[in-house]
Amino acid sequence: MSDMFLRRRSIRRRAFDLLTAGVCRSGFLFSMGLIVFLIAQIIFRGGASISLEFLTSPMRDGGLSGGILYQICGTMILIATAGSVAAPLALGLALLETEYVKNMFARRTIQILIHSANAIPSILFGLFGFFALVKMAGLQKSWLAGGLVLGMMILPTTAVAVKEAIDAIPSAYREQAIALGLSKPKEIFAVVLPRSFFGLITGLLLGLSRAAGETAPVMFTACVFYGPTLPHGIRDEPILSLPYHVFNLAQDSLKPQAMQNAWGASLVLIMIVSCLSLTAWGLRRHQMTEAWR
Amino acid sequence: MTVPDPLRRETPLYGPFGLFHDPGWGTISFTQFGSIVAASLALGSFVSLIGFLTYLSWPALTQKGVTLITTGVWYYPREKFGALAMIYGTITSASVALILAAPVGILSAIWIAEYAPRWSRLPLKGAVEFLAGVPSIVFGLMGVITLRPVMQEFSGGGDSLMTAALLLAIMILPTLTTLVEDSLQAVPGDLRTQARALGLSREEAIRKVILPGARRGIVAATLLALTRAFGETIAVYLVVGRADNRLPESLLNLQPLIESGQTLTSKLGGSEVPMAYGDPLHMGALASLGLILIVITVFTTFLGQMMMGSPEKGS
Amino acid sequence: MGMSFEKREITTCSSKFVFVLALMAVLGLSRGGSANAGNRVRIQGSTTVNPVVVDAVEVLKASRGLDFSTDTLGGSSGGINAVAQGLVEIGMASREISERDLRKHPDVDFRVTPIAIDAVALVVSAPVWDGGVHALTRDQIRAIFEGKITNWNEVGGADLSIFVYDKEPGRGTREVFEKFAYGSDEPPIPDFAHYAQVGGNEETRSKVQDHDSAISQLSFAWTEGTDKIHALGIRLESGEIVRPDRKAILSNQYPIVRRLNLITDGPPCTNCSVLIDFMKSSEGQDIVKKHGYLPLDSADDGS
Repeated sequence: MSDMFLRRRSIRRRAFDLLTAGVCRSGFLFSMGLIVFLIAQIIFRGGASISLEFLTSPMRDGGLSGGILYQICGTMILIATAGSVAAPLALGLALLETEYVKNMFARRTIQILIHSANAIPSILFGLFGFFALVKMAGLQKSWLAGGLVLGMMILPTTAVAVKEAIDAIPSAYREQAIALGLSKPKEIFAVVLPRSFFGLITGLLLGLSRAAGETAPVMFTACVFYGPTLPHGIRDEPILSLPYHVFNLAQDSLKPQAMQNAWGASLVLIMIVSCLSLTAWGLRRHQMTEAWR
Repeated sequence: MTVPDPLRRETPLYGPFGLFHDPGWGTISFTQFGSIVAASLALGSFVSLIGFLTYLSWPALTQKGVTLITTGVWYYPREKFGALAMIYGTITSASVALILAAPVGILSAIWIAEYAPRWSRLPLKGAVEFLAGVPSIVFGLMGVITLRPVMQEFSGGGDSLMTAALLLAIMILPTLTTLVEDSLQAVPGDLRTQARALGLSREEAIRKVILPGARRGIVAATLLALTRAFGETIAVYLVVGRADNRLPESLLNLQPLIESGQTLTSKLGGSEVPMAYGDPLHMGALASLGLILIVITVFTTFLGQMMMGSPEKGS
Repeated sequence: MGMSFEKREITTCSSKFVFVLALMAVLGLSRGGSANAGNRVRIQGSTTVNPVVVDAVEVLKASRGLDFSTDTLGGSSGGINAVAQGLVEIGMASREISERDLRKHPDVDFRVTPIAIDAVALVVSAPVWDGGVHALTRDQIRAIFEGKITNWNEVGGADLSIFVYDKEPGRGTREVFEKFAYGSDEPPIPDFAHYAQVGGNEETRSKVQDHDSAISQLSFAWTEGTDKIHALGIRLESGEIVRPDRKAILSNQYPIVRRLNLITDGPPCTNCSVLIDFMKSSEGQDIVKKHGYLPLDSADDGS
């Protein structure tokens, strides 16, 4: 009888096991279906308008014809500026937190500040950039204002990535540095920076992939819809950008050409974003395999 | 009396709160200086962002006070600035999005982490992370073209808080999945082997061992996804309808969900900001919306951080 | 280890300095000076005026190498505000400067140059038109936009629930419409179900055509060339129905007529004048006609 009792319990356990597996699998299939559907939409709708001409000619007819050449340039300029701003600042912040600040409370505060900063909605960076940079600092709408604001936005992500890379340095290396009698700055340059360089680059690339696609911060600080090509200076030099272009076109769904171009620009934007994150991912894998040697 | 840590040089502390180690030369080193400058710029910029918003919103805070968040009528030509309807919009659209996305995301993550064949885990993760990186404007475009026509069957307009909630759910699903999967993977492998050794079935191992072990990470992941949903501007702007002052009749009335609504972010991303510049009260009211947003998002992140615990203390 | 250590120190050190150098190089490109040191003219404003200006700008760019940038953030009010705040040189507006603008910017010397004539039409989705609604009185329009009339069959149409796409406050089209519907009274705050807000003309047109029982305000030129949306006539007090066509607009029978304006703060700068003069020239007015608006010199008989 105890045997039957055990068998009944095990049937129930088996049933639950299969049920859970089934439920999880359906959840997974649902999200996979969604993902496939969305990716297919992007590729098919966007692919139709991608051509060499689309990528290399400037826009015409208020976006209804022509290409997106200067939008791509503008996005690249914004990415480059944001990266140049975020990298040194994030590095300094991470170094401060791991190497120089020993007070636990201060460290924790900095950590919390960084993570909270990551949560700030991007539109507020746009507002801040508009008031602080465009108006008060007199930059007017300019690529530099947009780049600074984007750099500020991706700073927390990058700082966290660098910090994790620094934390991952085995203590053996630091012990060797002390044994060799290196002073603090030398230790940083010899041990910490080279080892965390990968982390900095991966964090930066991930942040940049986010920055490339942001509309709200650049809407008020750097981008206009029509007119500029390449900037000549740093003040009062608005640029075009892919996300703002798509944003404008997306509101004109009556015109099929507008939609077509919007999808084409979206696909190009996604390709840029994917390039950045793929590189980050590839670097991370490379670093992991390196570390095992 | 603690054992001296060989990695910590015994140099005297100096600076405010004994923050810094003396580098040994009596002066500050270049890298230390550089790091302090960089860090101050970095942290300072965020502090000044919040300070700026407060400064900007001062006229509205002093003139309108708490009516900014207790009244629901926003109509700037008559200087009525009540954000309650927008707070309602933000909170409901994000919450509904989370309610829809969390079960699917967690279940998918469990499947990927526990049930999927090993070779498929990497490409699956890649696909999910790819979607997590898609810019919000593309989701907005998809919402306008694909989601709105579907929603028109239900609410007539196609633009509603529900449309925004669905779009947000789709947007946060990949992020949620990938983060939950990470925390499931972080559960040490020996726990799984031990569970197997004790004779637990896979389901029981998941339910009783792995999920509790990853619970903190899962909660943190949901809070992070919620934060993203709160802060999403562009996609919501395109599909929410942007109808002001839509509040439910009573607390549990779900009618406004299928009507057009307004969220804090869709108001800030709209035309009122370029129009308001130069009018301190109007701009102040908009800036106070930003402050409300910051309070909401930072509070949620803070909760998530507290849940995660500090890495020094261990998980 | 010794050799590679130095090299690494140099590489990481110099990578930091490369950023600084890049920034310095970039700073070196700056010409500084006043906000419009170059010959760039910044234009911002109404989505109604924008297509015309964009075409004109392309011509001027090609023929005279001038530099312009245009944007439609904020619509007419955004453009006027931007001019007043010195963010742009030319503002595009589909309405006149209002009391409110003057109150808000007392130090600004608004110079308004009309470049076209336009009318605001009430547009409805095709099924509404097909259901029999071809004209509305002012009171009916007011009631619809206040949510008091909720079904098209109350105004002689099919049994369809009315969905109102209201232009955002601040849009030129909206303010012109308000003047028509309410005169100098204040319009009430919208507070009813089945309404959403729309911003620019593109969005209005798209949303009305996607819906099957919607109404909105739109420039009449944007209703031509498509059978998915229709412009309603206005039924005057006399019972007569005026449609927004050239004749009615030019003879001012149609009550919601407006000018499309370019606005500057003080006398326009040199290159701004080039654009403004171009818009008033015959070539510019041809562009106006191409987009469906009425040129300034239209005769009363509608030619």
